[in-house]
Amino acid sequence: MAAFAKLDVVALAVAMGAVFAIGLFLMTVVLLAKGAPPGVGIGPHLGVLGAYLPGYAVSWGGSIMGALYAWIIGALLGFVWAVLWNLSHYIYIILVVARAHWWRLMAD
Amino acid sequence: MIKDIPVAIDENLLRATVKLNTFLFAGVAGFLGGLTLLCLTYLSLLRGLPHPGLYLNLLGVFLPGYSVSPAGAWVGFAWGGLLGAISGAVVYRIYARSIRRQVADYLAGNMPEHALEFAVLKIHGHSLGLALGGMTGTGLLLATNWLVIRGAADESPHAGLLSHYLPGYSVSLPGSVIGAVETFVIAYLVCVLASAIYNRVATRRQKDPGQ
Repeated sequence: MAAFAKLDVVALAVAMGAVFAIGLFLMTVVLLAKGAPPGVGIGPHLGVLGAYLPGYAVSWGGSIMGALYAWIIGALLGFVWAVLWNLSHYIYIILVVARAHWWRLMAD
Repeated sequence: MIKDIPVAIDENLLRATVKLNTFLFAGVAGFLGGLTLLCLTYLSLLRGLPHPGLYLNLLGVFLPGYSVSPAGAWVGFAWGGLLGAISGAVVYRIYARSIRRQVADYLAGNMPEHALEFAVLKIHGHSLGLALGGMTGTGLLLATNWLVIRGAADESPHAGLLSHYLPGYSVSLPGSVIGAVETFVIAYLVCVLASAIYNRVATRRQKDPGQ
């Protein structure tokens, strides 16, 4: 049961989306809270994510955009993970059943 | 409520199940790890930018042969696959140490027979946290000390940026230990949070399949 129980695809997508969103939001907010010396931009390295996530920036508004993007990416990752996990188990079960039928045919 | 009733578990079946799941988990983790690095590399190339994959190229320090280039992307796919598979196998093996207890608890709860037919996997956050936390903490420790051994500690300002999120971390032996402990704690908390959300949503969906 514990081996072949399926992963809930929606639940994993929601969980990973939430975790990714909270993660990127907190990473951004930590840098904003720490600040930077005058004349130096805040979080120039994390800000590079803006090249891949249009609208993201190390700012309060950008942190919300980033959380949205991260939610989508995390949800997609969770969805794909759960689907692959369930699919691999289904394929394994199909192969086991097919092999059992084959040996039964051979025995008959 | 957990009932303290002795439950007989087929040890051979449990062992075979854990072995199978370790293999499958490693497969999925390896595939996703390789695919992620491949996609990130090609995304960097497609974006162009003044210095495509400026930061991603730093991975070449840890993954020989990797670079932000079409050929390097496939080297990255192989490395991501290998590391993902190894990580997945280790994480699941550590997580699986709690499966015996989980199965016993489930069976001792006297669930009706038909419930097993539609069983949905629940995730044990504590066990997952220990497994993933241990993995990530160890990974940071090894990666940091690899830089120290190579003599590149002073030339690794980017690695040092982790100190923004891991106070006390630095590219040095003592700093790596502090960072590893902090990483373990963060990863543990993330796993507990993720599994709590997952279990709550999964339970709600099981009770109300219409949602």
